[in-house]
Amino acid sequence: MRAMLKTAVLCGIVSLCAEAQADAPKIGRPAPAFSTTDSDGKTVSLSDYAGKPVVLEWTNDGCPFVQHYYKGGAMQALQKTYTGKGVAWLTVISSAPGTQGYVDGAGANADTRQRGAAPTAVLLDPSGKIGHLYDAKTTPHMFIIDGKGTLVYDGGIDSLPSTDPDDIPRATPYVKNALDELLAGKPVSKPLTSPYGCSVKYE
Amino acid sequence: MRLISVLGPALGLLLALPLPGRAAPVQTQHVEAELVAENLALAAGGDNWLGLRLRPEDGWHVYWRNPGDSGLATSLSWTLPPGVSAGELQWPYPHRSQLGDIVNYGYGEETLLPVQLKLPADWSGGDTLALQAKAKWLVCKDVCIPGSADLSLSLPVAPAGSAQQADPRWRDAFAKARAELPQPAPADWKVQFAVRPEPPGNIPGNGDFSMAVKGAHFSAGGAIEFFPYASDLLKHSAPQRLDNAADGTLRISQQLGDYFTKAPAQVDGVLVVHDSVSGAKAWELHATPGAVQPVPQQAVAKAAEPPLAAAGGQPSLALALLLALLGGVILNLMPCVFPMLSIKAISLIEARAKVARRQRGHALAYTFGVLASFAGLAGALLVLRGGGAAIGWGFQLQQPVFVAALAYLFFAMGLSLSGLVHFGTRLMGVGEGLTADKGYRGSFFTGVLAVAVASPCTAPLMGTALGYALGQPAAVAMLVFLALGLGLALPFLLIGFFPRLGALLPRPGPWMETFKQVMAFPLYLSVVWLLWVLGGITDRGGMAMAMLGLVCIGFALWLWHKPGRASGLLRLAALLAALALLTTPEVRTVSAGHAAAQPGGPEAWSEQRVTQLRAEGRTIFVDFTADWCITCKLNEHVAIDTNTVRQAFAGQNVAWLQGDWTRADPAITAVLARYQHSGVPLYLVYVKGGEPKVLPQILTPATVVDSLKPD
Repeated sequence: MRAMLKTAVLCGIVSLCAEAQADAPKIGRPAPAFSTTDSDGKTVSLSDYAGKPVVLEWTNDGCPFVQHYYKGGAMQALQKTYTGKGVAWLTVISSAPGTQGYVDGAGANADTRQRGAAPTAVLLDPSGKIGHLYDAKTTPHMFIIDGKGTLVYDGGIDSLPSTDPDDIPRATPYVKNALDELLAGKPVSKPLTSPYGCSVKYE
Repeated sequence: MRLISVLGPALGLLLALPLPGRAAPVQTQHVEAELVAENLALAAGGDNWLGLRLRPEDGWHVYWRNPGDSGLATSLSWTLPPGVSAGELQWPYPHRSQLGDIVNYGYGEETLLPVQLKLPADWSGGDTLALQAKAKWLVCKDVCIPGSADLSLSLPVAPAGSAQQADPRWRDAFAKARAELPQPAPADWKVQFAVRPEPPGNIPGNGDFSMAVKGAHFSAGGAIEFFPYASDLLKHSAPQRLDNAADGTLRISQQLGDYFTKAPAQVDGVLVVHDSVSGAKAWELHATPGAVQPVPQQAVAKAAEPPLAAAGGQPSLALALLLALLGGVILNLMPCVFPMLSIKAISLIEARAKVARRQRGHALAYTFGVLASFAGLAGALLVLRGGGAAIGWGFQLQQPVFVAALAYLFFAMGLSLSGLVHFGTRLMGVGEGLTADKGYRGSFFTGVLAVAVASPCTAPLMGTALGYALGQPAAVAMLVFLALGLGLALPFLLIGFFPRLGALLPRPGPWMETFKQVMAFPLYLSVVWLLWVLGGITDRGGMAMAMLGLVCIGFALWLWHKPGRASGLLRLAALLAALALLTTPEVRTVSAGHAAAQPGGPEAWSEQRVTQLRAEGRTIFVDFTADWCITCKLNEHVAIDTNTVRQAFAGQNVAWLQGDWTRADPAITAVLARYQHSGVPLYLVYVKGGEPKVLPQILTPATVVDSLKPD
């Protein structure tokens, strides 16, 4: 109640609503709403995908942990498989200008083409607003939101922190498992895991 | 060139061959890696210690077994002949590094990770054994690069039972690593932990982990840190609350990690106890579930986490408002407000003849001027910070155009006081001049002016209040800023409403003309100071442009009372020229940085340098300053740069680091925020590389010297 009041006061006085949400998102609670520009310059809001499961994938093209999932095609395969099953896959770039992984829309599209990625959209978040809203810590850091807008997964891409693509088959694929469970109408059995990777390059 | 690059490593390899116990170190991007052995030969049937030696470049680091919020632990995988077996890597205790909210555990300097190798007693594999291992690591600065090296080492094998000879090259490295390896906890310690609330009642961000070490009897005073092996147990960036009770029980509480889901059957980790006498010692703890009372939130003292410990917790809103009010009153006496104050005092003395009602009106107008400017500045600050800009109090003075404009203003006010020009009908400063007798506008603008010139003087009490304010919701922050403004306006407000207080001021008379003329000189001095600040932010080009502007202003003011159309036009032209000069690139461009450090003076501050010096166990004195911060300059001349302090620094081998916030610097702003300071000065002392303590904002040589002693 106090936190809500605090938020309300802040939002009323200065429009800092995004920053006011100090608490990390919680499993089983509504996922924080956001709206930003994608790599094609279009405005994208979480609510655009109401009714669909949504995956948020924090990325940084220069980060070796991200490269480890893209080099062997593992991330692209996940994107293709699940967007094919009606999931909206939103790749988010929160690197601040001048830091590793920062790209403009054209740069993001070039990266997507070059690595053969298949996200639904690439969201540009150079101010880190969405990153802080979700408390995204690493690249990759993965979130899954169900069709009702509830956060059902927050954590790592898999169980084995590594920068070596050869390690991927040995890891427990947390995100894949969670999506399979979600699409089968089952509760996600491991909704919270430790994300691993490079720190998100906030300003 | 190409030939050399091919021949170089080959030559190195060749040279390395005849030496037992050493293959050439492998140079990779930012890390030198090498496999080394403690002894000149391997013993069959005995314990042999090898080590993975990693030396990251300055500013880069590799990770501990639990890397923290990001990163990756170093690993070593062996290719060994049958019968030979290698143990796990052993980990000297790590160093904590923090970048924003991200906390990591690792090594920023050359580190040896020992590993044990066992050979069968009946070794029959030959006189020499060629060992091969692949090391993998992640090395990070602001970016991370995964690295790996195929390491090899050939060593003679000595028969079982023969005497061992240590390799002198690695004796020190192994000794250092052993001293930093965690020792098994003594058998009489009882180590228990509790998690509250228990999952699944736990909501991430709300739970607490608490651990008690009974029978430890750690000496009071040294910093104590706990590093868990599991990366998801604790919120690494949350402060560790410590309670080192007199009965010998140490309790540690820390917020649970955001990804903590289930209380483990056992919690393993390393407890590092820093002692100013015997140095640091590390213990490996295995805690079992038990009843442990959490350490209350306030008790962060002596903990590993400096921010809250240093600030002594958060002041309440009422206290912050009171501090802000007091700070505002004190601000009246600060050197940068003094010229302003003198002008206002003159106007008060002059106005005393007038009716009280008018005085009251002027006092209110002045107060509104002060409050409106504070509200404006605070609003700008909050909006910019909300937008993510890393700025703090005093940010206006990081803008060269603002500084130059302030110099113009002071110069014009000085000339007016000197009698070159009479604004309006009365001898007044520019701000006062706007009043004439007609309105309260002049008093309002005097208030605005007072705030403009007061901003660099972060009064001692203001630091805490503003730091608190910036961490609060906008409404609260605004209240604190307004309380500060009220404090600044208070003396004149009181005199306005209680004319009897005004009677304490001297009687008006001819002496006032002299007084005004004398008061011009502090203003000229302020101009010199502002030009010096401007020269620091830009360069001498920018300073020269501003001085040209001053000449234009002087010219315009000299023409002020000359009759005629030509004089009027010239006057306008000179004023426009002065303004145009403000927009030249020389004035607008912020130069890159300061001149190189002078010998014997402070060294430039950086987070990496602090980490490095702390790792060396040096005592560090950090001084965050800015050219435009009078309090900082005063402290430097009166307290820091004195013989007493310099001798103490030299005698105790103290590293003096200086962070210059004259220009905007996000790294320094981040540190200021961590200690809940909204501006400079900020003084930190790390005694023998221990946890930092914050010194007061007004220093004496004795304060500085005393702070160097361990408490």
